[in-house]
Amino acid sequence: MAKSNSKKHKTVEYGRYGYYFIAPFFIVFAIFQLWPLIYTLGLAFCENYTDTMWNVEVGPTFNGLENFTTIFVGSDGSLFDTYTFRALGNTLIMWLMNFLPQILLALLLAVWFTDTRVKIKAQGAYKILVFMPNIITAATISVLFYKLFDYPNGPINQFLVNAGIWDKPYQFLNTKWATRSIISFINFWMWYGNTMIVLTAGVLGISPSLFEAARVDGATSWQIFKSVTLPLLRPILLFSLVNSAIGGLQMFDIPKLLTTSGYGDPDYTTRTMTMYIRELAFSGARQMGKASAVSLVLFVVTLFFSLVLFYIMRDKDAIREKKAIKAAEKARKGAN
Amino acid sequence: MGGAAPSTDAPAADAAPAEDAAPAEDAAPADDAAAADSAASGDKFYIYSWNTEVQERLAYVFEANPGMEERIEYVNIGDSAIYQERIDQLLQAPDAADYPDMIAFEAAYIMKYTNSDQTLAVTDLGITDADLAEMYPYTIDVATDKRNGTLKGLSWQACPGAFMYRTDLAESLLGVKTPEEMQAKISTWDDFVATAHEIKDKSGDATRILSSNGDIAEVFRSNMENPWVDANGVFRMDPIMEQYMELCKTFEQEDLTQKTTTWSDEWNAGPSTDAVFGYFGCTWFLHWTIKANCGGSAVGEGTYGLWNMCQGPMPYYWGGTWLGATAGCSDTALAGQIMKSLCCDTEIMTKMSSETLDYVNNKTAMQTLSDEGKGAYDFLGGQDFIAVFSPLADNVDVSFMSAYDKTIGDLLGTQNTEYSLGNKDKETAIADFKAAVAEAYPSLTIE
Repeated sequence: MAKSNSKKHKTVEYGRYGYYFIAPFFIVFAIFQLWPLIYTLGLAFCENYTDTMWNVEVGPTFNGLENFTTIFVGSDGSLFDTYTFRALGNTLIMWLMNFLPQILLALLLAVWFTDTRVKIKAQGAYKILVFMPNIITAATISVLFYKLFDYPNGPINQFLVNAGIWDKPYQFLNTKWATRSIISFINFWMWYGNTMIVLTAGVLGISPSLFEAARVDGATSWQIFKSVTLPLLRPILLFSLVNSAIGGLQMFDIPKLLTTSGYGDPDYTTRTMTMYIRELAFSGARQMGKASAVSLVLFVVTLFFSLVLFYIMRDKDAIREKKAIKAAEKARKGAN
Repeated sequence: MGGAAPSTDAPAADAAPAEDAAPAEDAAPADDAAAADSAASGDKFYIYSWNTEVQERLAYVFEANPGMEERIEYVNIGDSAIYQERIDQLLQAPDAADYPDMIAFEAAYIMKYTNSDQTLAVTDLGITDADLAEMYPYTIDVATDKRNGTLKGLSWQACPGAFMYRTDLAESLLGVKTPEEMQAKISTWDDFVATAHEIKDKSGDATRILSSNGDIAEVFRSNMENPWVDANGVFRMDPIMEQYMELCKTFEQEDLTQKTTTWSDEWNAGPSTDAVFGYFGCTWFLHWTIKANCGGSAVGEGTYGLWNMCQGPMPYYWGGTWLGATAGCSDTALAGQIMKSLCCDTEIMTKMSSETLDYVNNKTAMQTLSDEGKGAYDFLGGQDFIAVFSPLADNVDVSFMSAYDKTIGDLLGTQNTEYSLGNKDKETAIADFKAAVAEAYPSLTIE
């Protein structure tokens, strides 16, 4: 013991320099992330809005769970029949509508692009084309689609009418499911390239010898995909899923810019949680208190979905192995 | 202009005694502020607005006040949709370098600022009652603080509205030759709808009476008997807005408008084509919207010269821009000087009106121009726009306005679209509208 102590004194302590170097991150994090988080938490339990009539700020004064009551209980007393949960529903619907096709297509493309037997020519060109929509800003794409689907004389409507497919123009952006589909499509189209790149990196991280061995054993492409690629891709897939869930639940720019009024037309059916929070906090009576409470709800929902995804994607074999080891150890101890 | 007494560099103190006794205590702190300001007068003086309109009008002020221009930093936010948000943020940081000294307001939300302590009384800026003599009374009513009756903002324009229509289409489709005949065709909303059918049928679906449903929104809004929200914070839906919803539905279901969205590209393209018969517009609308989009700049080009105005089914008023000084204004004397030149100086305003054809907020100026025959406007085929607008401007009643108008108008728009498209019945649409108002303003009592 004494020996090792004296040794410690002799070494030069470089460790603290490490702390200096990482300090800026923590300082910035504390000021711009941690403090706002704590402040939001506090505001959620306060009455804080601006009285538009005289433009004076009311509060913040503590009002307990009142903000949460208005979030969970509708004006007619029915649970969950509120703007908040309608916004949450819109967000989830539009997220699922873009996420499911997105992950499937990205996975398919990732497997094709990495498969040594399916030799696709001009791979680089395809990859660029697929990734391209992600480079354009969301605002540009929204305006582009807004113009394309314009009523009554946007290009899509003109084409459909002139080609005789429809006899009169269609109110795309005044129809609930049409607008939702357009928003989902834009998100899908913008992000499948990105997801594909991530998944490709994941597949390339798998040892090629495993694929070769499987092939030597006579496995079909589907069997290789199912039993080699997919299980080994699990950590990357989980990363994509959680990433997409967080991004999807915070969906804002496309629906905000695509709809005419910016309020989630038609009739708030494309209003997402973040749009709703923004409206509460910065328009009308600027209800900071309620907006904070809704932010907390969004946080809990995001956390819930992330945990569910972690649970679904957990490594069942590894857990089983661990359990087996534990059981074996127990048995050994018991035998002793 | 009320004499030379308040010369260009008059501090607020000079003007205060000219006022009634009441605002004396209001003026006192401003004196201190003015004294402190003079030390810092080298700083930039920030004026915020949402487009270039104020900037263009300020050119006349700079011309009359040499040396002023260097001090002014004009900030154009560029988007009226986010303007309020941006201003609210800026006003929260009084020490910031870019803190606004003066702000421009639109009618739809001016009361939010003038009914608060965020704006200064114009008496603090050296504006006297004599300076206000030539203004149309409604422009003063709008900008008066409802709490204590002090005036907080001034406007250089008056904005009565009219129905602006194409004379060539009126003649070919309706056989109408004069504005009086046209007025007879649309003197009530029933007549208006009948005429709309006539235009649609006779043109073989090529022309519609209006471009969008949104075009009549302002007409109805300014005919509400009571504001959306009264002084006690009670929200009521004026019965006339139900008539508005009915009419929008008729237009939509009977295919009487071009079905565009107000301010969209296609809507803006309307005046240059034969697709739209007319627009409801006011003084600035005539120049900024119809003339700017008519596809020409002289008689014979585009639809230039093929327009006329008549009053339409209801007298109304739309918009306008006011200027106000903020509570933390760094140089109240300069703010007062700008306001005085822009909004009170008959000479400057006459010049401004004759050059820009803006309908200025100065009765003498408009009378002078009308007497000189300057009102005959080639864009309107020689019709005297001053003669049309003057009687309307005298009678504008702004009792319908409240600080909530912009947001509540947007909320109604959402439900009105649902109703006019037939997705909801009227009861549901109105109930949803009221729910949305309650959601946006939790402190209001909804009736």
